[in-house]
Amino acid sequence: MKAPTRRALAKQQTRAKVLAAARRLFSEAGYEGATIRDIAAAAGMSTGAVFANFADKSDLFREIMLTDMAALGDAMSSAAARGADVEDALLKLFIAGYSFYRSQLPLARAAFSVGWSPEDGPALRSSPAAQALNDLVAAILKEGVKKGEIADADLDVRARMLFETYLSNYPQAIFEAWTLEALEARSRDQIRILLAGARRA
Amino acid sequence: MSSKSQPLKAATAARAAKAPAAAGARQTQKEATRSRVMEAARELFDTQGYQGTTIREIARHAGVSVGSVFTTFASKYEILSQVMEDRLEGLYAELDRVIPHLRGPTVDRLRTMFAIHFAFEARHKRLFLAYIAAAFDWTLPPTSLPMGRNQRLQGIIADCLSKGVEQGDVGSGFDAQEVIDLLMAAYIWSYRLAAWHDADATTMTSVMDRQIGLICDGLRPRTRGGPPTDYPSI
Repeated sequence: MKAPTRRALAKQQTRAKVLAAARRLFSEAGYEGATIRDIAAAAGMSTGAVFANFADKSDLFREIMLTDMAALGDAMSSAAARGADVEDALLKLFIAGYSFYRSQLPLARAAFSVGWSPEDGPALRSSPAAQALNDLVAAILKEGVKKGEIADADLDVRARMLFETYLSNYPQAIFEAWTLEALEARSRDQIRILLAGARRA
Repeated sequence: MSSKSQPLKAATAARAAKAPAAAGARQTQKEATRSRVMEAARELFDTQGYQGTTIREIARHAGVSVGSVFTTFASKYEILSQVMEDRLEGLYAELDRVIPHLRGPTVDRLRTMFAIHFAFEARHKRLFLAYIAAAFDWTLPPTSLPMGRNQRLQGIIADCLSKGVEQGDVGSGFDAQEVIDLLMAAYIWSYRLAAWHDADATTMTSVMDRQIGLICDGLRPRTRGGPPTDYPSI
């Protein structure tokens, strides 16, 4: 395999610098508030250098989101694997998510804001990375069926509702600075309610 | 009346008599501006979205100056907030009329309530979503509350659930706020379907119905064999 050229390495470094600066600015100023100009300045680059690597601001943001969602997927997957049963696995998945964003709630908030926009929202939510998170929840439910813990009843809807519920706890986390303990207690109750109709015995 | 020929006391009295009338006229003017701005904003938000609408465009559409928009509203978000509250007033008036007459299992009463909600809002989906998106706007002051904190709707759901506890189809140990939030999450998902996939009120209602069913399954009182003891609430 050919070693990466100097140019390729330089391009990689530029991308990394821009992404790091963008992440910081989106966290500080939100999606609307961050500008390409500010991001470029924070990265010590020209706006030209930014545009050579990214189509526009939404492209930058999407890149950050995809990176995070992939990392989040890994964290959630390993956390869920440690679950004692289906509900515990789901709870651990939820908490892995909240822990992941705990130190970067402003970025989560920006993500929500983008997720809701008619222009960029649908693409973000239907992206393979976002789908993967939803699929992870579905897989946990299927595992629960295999182990005889829950019946195969409305699993697709339940999976979706569980994921939406996970997302719906973020506003409280963001606006009311909820602790992980509080999030965990609430999540446990919600998961129990959502699986009640499928629980065996 | 010329003030030169009047004694000072009378002139002051005459001026005082005029003042409330002038203040009244200013008040009406302010109200007129307010309703024109809100009407214009509602149309623009609904057709162009919240992000895509500027204060300047609202002012132009309303036939007022940008300055007078700002004497009435602190921000674009405040305009959106007021427009939403205004619309929702009509919805809640309708719900207040209907809900006392709803009968039957909690699941049905909740379904009816949300069906009414969807039918009412169906024509202004973009406006609603704009409201939610704006609620997460980073530049807003911390006191701005996201949707889902809507107290009237939550109050209505809470009453519905209380009645369910009385009727015996909702267990008494549930945290009402948690259940309300579950229903709100379901509601928002249904709304997104409408806004992004152009689902109509019928589709939204059927998606919501299914979710309400699943949630209510989880709210049934736990029946246990054996003597009653103090079980911890769920």
